[in-house]
Amino acid sequence: MNLALAIRRVIAALLLVITVSAAAFVLARLAPGDETTSDFIAGVDPATIARKRERLGLDRPFAVQLATYVWGILRLDLGESARFERPVASLVAERGANTARLAFAALLLATVLGLPLGVLTGAHARWWGSRLIAVMSIAVLACPPLVAALGLLYLAVSTGWLSAAPGHLFVPALALGLPVAASLERLQSQATRDAMAAPDLLAAAARGIPPRRLVWVHAARQSLRPVLGVYGIVIGSLFSGSLAVEFVTSWPGLGRLMYDAVRAGDVRLVAGCVFAGGVCLAVGNLVADGLRAWADPRVRETA
Amino acid sequence: MTRSRLIRLVLAVALAVVAILVSRRVGTPQPDGEAGPRRGGRLVASFRTEPTNFNRLVEAQPVARLAALLTQATLLRVDPNSGAFEPRLATAWTGTPDGLTWTFTLRPNVRFSDGTAFTAADVLFTFQALYDERVGSPLASEMRANGQPLQVRALDDHHVVLTFPVPFGPGLTILDSLPILPRHKLQAALDAGTFRAAWSAGVNPADMAGLGPFMLQEYVPAQHMRFVRNPNFWLTDAEGQALPYLDEIEVAIVPEQNAELLRLQAGESDLTTGGTRAEDLAMLRDAEAAGRIRLMNAGTAIDVSTFWFNLTPGAKAVAGKPWLTDESFRRAVSHAVNRQAIVDTVHLGAATPVYGPITPGHGQWFVPGMGETPFDLGRARTLLTSIGLEDRDGDGVLEDKANRPVRFSLLTQRGNTERERTSAVVQEQLRQVGIAVDVVALDGGGLVGRFTSGDYEAIYFGAQSNSADPANNLGFWLSNGGFHYWNPGQVTPATEWEARIDTLMQQQAATMDRAERIRLFTEVQQLVADHVPALWFAAANITVPVNARVGGVTAAAIQPPVLWNAERLYVTSERR
Repeated sequence: MNLALAIRRVIAALLLVITVSAAAFVLARLAPGDETTSDFIAGVDPATIARKRERLGLDRPFAVQLATYVWGILRLDLGESARFERPVASLVAERGANTARLAFAALLLATVLGLPLGVLTGAHARWWGSRLIAVMSIAVLACPPLVAALGLLYLAVSTGWLSAAPGHLFVPALALGLPVAASLERLQSQATRDAMAAPDLLAAAARGIPPRRLVWVHAARQSLRPVLGVYGIVIGSLFSGSLAVEFVTSWPGLGRLMYDAVRAGDVRLVAGCVFAGGVCLAVGNLVADGLRAWADPRVRETA
Repeated sequence: MTRSRLIRLVLAVALAVVAILVSRRVGTPQPDGEAGPRRGGRLVASFRTEPTNFNRLVEAQPVARLAALLTQATLLRVDPNSGAFEPRLATAWTGTPDGLTWTFTLRPNVRFSDGTAFTAADVLFTFQALYDERVGSPLASEMRANGQPLQVRALDDHHVVLTFPVPFGPGLTILDSLPILPRHKLQAALDAGTFRAAWSAGVNPADMAGLGPFMLQEYVPAQHMRFVRNPNFWLTDAEGQALPYLDEIEVAIVPEQNAELLRLQAGESDLTTGGTRAEDLAMLRDAEAAGRIRLMNAGTAIDVSTFWFNLTPGAKAVAGKPWLTDESFRRAVSHAVNRQAIVDTVHLGAATPVYGPITPGHGQWFVPGMGETPFDLGRARTLLTSIGLEDRDGDGVLEDKANRPVRFSLLTQRGNTERERTSAVVQEQLRQVGIAVDVVALDGGGLVGRFTSGDYEAIYFGAQSNSADPANNLGFWLSNGGFHYWNPGQVTPATEWEARIDTLMQQQAATMDRAERIRLFTEVQQLVADHVPALWFAAANITVPVNARVGGVTAAAIQPPVLWNAERLYVTSERR
């Protein structure tokens, strides 16, 4: 990927992030309720609620609120959270770092488990172990994240093998990483099967290259191309999928922060979380593009 | 796969399952025995929401109240079970015969957790911050008598005089919710207009100080709060042993209720601070039978959901349905709803049928039998016929005189299982008398928005109530109140009986004589029963699960139901 293309991609990503964040602000503001709804439910008297609305600028026209928000984004100022009474940027950075840590651990786990298993099952499609792994992958993929996270949590607390205390990484990383591992395994398996049937691999086998080298070096490298292409999507799905996992396993990440912000009607915080999510997705796609270029010379040439 | 390999695989899976089951930690902790309180140890509780501010004066949410109960202290406390006053930072108080002026003697030799001496200046500072407009304290409204602030002055370092501007029925009970804050830590922030942010969730615990049994040692955002014993806490038990008994309380933030219960059952936490769902009770009773937990009865809730129709005169949402605002219609609905069925099916027996907003949990304010309308479908049909609602076309749904079907939409709160299920039961029960109900579940924001804009026909909902004293809930009772659900914010009372209730409530709020207050409030309840402006069906019986190793528990129907008395909790064994 050359420099000009990289710059174009970065500018497009920035525009996307700003647009998505502003859209989130609009949607959250148009949704029923606002930052004072939870106060009403808590029984706070209407006069105090009215003062809070005035303090937060909720009595100003919607267009003014939106313009203020967009102008803030352009200056990298995401505003202040009504619920926490703290700058959104610091909250998002704090929780975003936790989500990034969780996503990285899950991605690592998924990669370490999924890719080798995929190569194995793709290269030995008739082996009974391959069939078992395939069934398990499909079962994990079919299981909703909420149920999978609760199941793992139950396993953790009932056996004591894993810590389920809030802030411990292993259970949430496992809950988030296993479906991704299953997904990668399925993709890698198919790609390996396709690579093994390709003429160059058949020729290499005919030349007497040992089967193990044929599978783990030649076929694996060729089959990585389509799999690396979906890594950007995978990173995005780790962000969106982390909401349920973070909620159930009490992981203090961005997904949980956003869930709480939506429930509290904290519009600026919602938009700030979407902004961070957009950044994660854009960075993930840029990284995936780079990886594809590294693995496939054709991508480098066409870029 | 060959058969032998398949068998080996099945055996391996079976062995793994057995290993998991065998390794389940089902150790039975030592129950709260007769050995008496044990000093030391650590207790782990869980809470479902994270704190946003540790200053109770600026934050109304229950987690802020929990933090304040642990780290701060009040002048006096009202025992939530007996209603009796307990001396706290004030050891004695005397009042003038008119009940307007009270002189408090402050406990001597009390120090904040950071070692600074506690004096009358801290009490004065707290009231100054409470009424400061820039602070916008959610506590300020309940700390006013007839809308006017209380006056406070110091006689010396250990005596303060509190003056009510007018006679005020709740009297000193309002002091139960006002934590006394450290002037030396917060005066500068108040002067600078940064009081709200001074103890926000990002505060350095070293910048806080309190007079409560514990002090905040650490807050890891969205993970846990760790409170350690306040070495300067001023209270001792009957044997002269310094309180609190516990060295440490950790409050883990666990947002998901199922996860919270799993942790409790596995012994990872000692108690939960939220409510217990009726459907979880069977599972918890098993754990109790196994000796792992104890289920504490905290009494009947004072928060009871309300079913009301939009009675705002001229409301567009009910135009064309005059029967919706007819008293006989509401009374018919009341007769058609089988409250015991709601108790049995929605609450699985863990509730009490109620016919008004005052439940047995309100203690002496509750009048048994008040407004009781028996489940009687025949009576309901008669009442409906009396206002011209009959099944004219034989389709099972009543029609009014203009031949329009008797059908209304009922809004309720999505995600609140009790409200959603009760609404479904009511829908089914009203179908039996020919009334069609469309239940619509909305999230909190949507529901509150529809209510405040008056765009609804009927709602089943209710804001939280933190006080059993009716004078602290005037927003509900007075016709101009924001929580006078069926017709809020009236400029002048819409009906004679509401005007009468206004008068009675203002009288009882301004009366110091408890017996007279009860008499006046009984009349208010009778008026509500006579005119049925809203309906109430069931009040939950609050059950609190606690690990069997926790002693000194006195459960109460308030938030938090166990930790309100944290200084007297102890553990009989160390955590595994």
